[in-house]
Amino acid sequence: MKAVHAVLALPAALRNSAAAVLGIATVLAALGVDYALAQLAMIATFAIAGLGVVIIVGQAGQISLGQGALLALGAYVQALLVRHGVPALLALPLAVLAGMAGGWLASLPAQRLGGLYFAMSTLAFALIVEEVLVRWSTLTGGAAGLLVPPPSLFGWSVESAAAQAVFSLACLALAWLACHRLLDASLGRAWRAVREDEGAAAASAIDPLRAKRSAFLCGGALSGLAGALYAHWIGFLSPEQFGLLLSFELLMLAFIGGVRTLAGAWWGALVIVAIPQAIAVLRDLLPAAVAHTAGLEAMLFGVVLVAMILLRPQGLCGPSPGR
Amino acid sequence: MLSFVQVLTSGIAIGCVYGLVALSFVLIYKATAAVSFMQGEVLMVGGFTVLALNVGLGLPLLPAILCGVVLVATLGAGLERSVLRRALGQPHLTAVLLTFGLGLIMRGAVTTVPAASHGMHRLALPFGDEPLRLGALAIAPQHLLVIVATVAVAGALSLFFRHTRAGLALRACSENPQGAALVGIPVAAMHTLAWGLGAALAAIAGVLLAPITFVHLGMGLIALKAFPAAVLGGMTSLPGALLAGIFIGVAEALAGLLLPEGGKDVVPYALLMAALLLFPGGLGTALRQLRR
Repeated sequence: MKAVHAVLALPAALRNSAAAVLGIATVLAALGVDYALAQLAMIATFAIAGLGVVIIVGQAGQISLGQGALLALGAYVQALLVRHGVPALLALPLAVLAGMAGGWLASLPAQRLGGLYFAMSTLAFALIVEEVLVRWSTLTGGAAGLLVPPPSLFGWSVESAAAQAVFSLACLALAWLACHRLLDASLGRAWRAVREDEGAAAASAIDPLRAKRSAFLCGGALSGLAGALYAHWIGFLSPEQFGLLLSFELLMLAFIGGVRTLAGAWWGALVIVAIPQAIAVLRDLLPAAVAHTAGLEAMLFGVVLVAMILLRPQGLCGPSPGR
Repeated sequence: MLSFVQVLTSGIAIGCVYGLVALSFVLIYKATAAVSFMQGEVLMVGGFTVLALNVGLGLPLLPAILCGVVLVATLGAGLERSVLRRALGQPHLTAVLLTFGLGLIMRGAVTTVPAASHGMHRLALPFGDEPLRLGALAIAPQHLLVIVATVAVAGALSLFFRHTRAGLALRACSENPQGAALVGIPVAAMHTLAWGLGAALAAIAGVLLAPITFVHLGMGLIALKAFPAAVLGGMTSLPGALLAGIFIGVAEALAGLLLPEGGKDVVPYALLMAALLLFPGGLGTALRQLRR
């Protein structure tokens, strides 16, 4: 009883961090350290991809239904280069460039289309990319897939879960810093102006087309980076990993976390990676007939998405509408 | 030449299914300005519902189809009442994500039924699937059935939109919701009707698709090819959507005949890209401009 009173008497900040430490300790104990670290690497990777969605959708206000294809470009460029003996650190910028090139391509229809029609064109872009990856099997291995070796940095192979987590967190930190600076710069203001009102933005000497294109270039670069990391951590690529489902999963991620803030990408990634883990835990509690099917995961994803959009459309860490 | 005609009929048949799904997109989009990403899943649920009624409960085929379509329409209307109504007036992405989430739930729910998730299922046709022979020409009866049923549905819809109070009210609502409300049309009820009708159309498409591709979890993917049809038809034209669906079906079938393997699957999306860039108003508008 005394201990409870002592905890309640602590200042709020201390209490929160104590709770966080306790939470992390529970997760580590439940999952095992290596497993938790591998999941952390995945969270950081998804968060980088989420930053791309935050910039394109949350900041510039464009609907992109083709993020998965941008990730695919980064992932395949990285995998193919590393397989041909290019050092991972040298391949990484090229994968980012591939993502950027994809973003540029996807943004081209913006010259003629706006709003929903432009969104449809990103969907068509993504479906065409996926089909090309399947069919160009001499390069990509087609539907059979492609094995990806772990990256090596200056002769040190990033194979252990801890190294993966550190490497992805470092990439996330760099990407985060870059995004943070961009959002405060004139480019970020241009994005938000275009999001609020294209006509007004154009009247204030902001070229909406340039703003959209730069948003897709940045979003593409982030997706390329995320794709390259994803390729290494999963170790195996096949086109169907990058289908429409991934594009929507990334949109979901951003909307769950809060699509207008950079922090949203992190929290969204946490939820997206945690849901399958929650299912794994729940599976032990449910009757065997229901528990052994893959449907539960899709259902829970759907329920979380619908509930978020209905109950908290600004996302987990977005500002309340009253403010 | 013969194989050409046979490929053409199968293209028209599958195109009719694209067209019906595109019709459901356009119907919903016109009435509520929402883009529904769950029509494919509704189609799949429709197929499974009819299958369950027919095989599981032992209803004869026709009553099973009727009951199934009505059930799925109720599902669509219920979803509008409970969830989709909240997307009104919100940015497009809200409706897109909501419908995608609902689609995931439907898909997950069907997957948890073990009997449904294992393999493909057949919906037996009452007259078997012996090909119909006209001289040397052989036409699969399921293809003919799809074409006949689509024509019937299109006719019924056109009668509904021209000669019934509800149909006229729905059209008024699509043209101008404020004006419709001012003359006493219950706009909210019309939205429910639009989602219900959209779901019913998708379910009918699912039933028609069943003899061609069987009933399975992935059959909803066909909705991805109905999107290009809806855009090609101009997003707001019901006959346009149906015709564009048939056009895409035929183009795809011909591409399968002429292009190397794999070219067939890209054709609808390449057409979508081309349509978006060249005639964003749809083929109908483009033709009208040409004539002027």
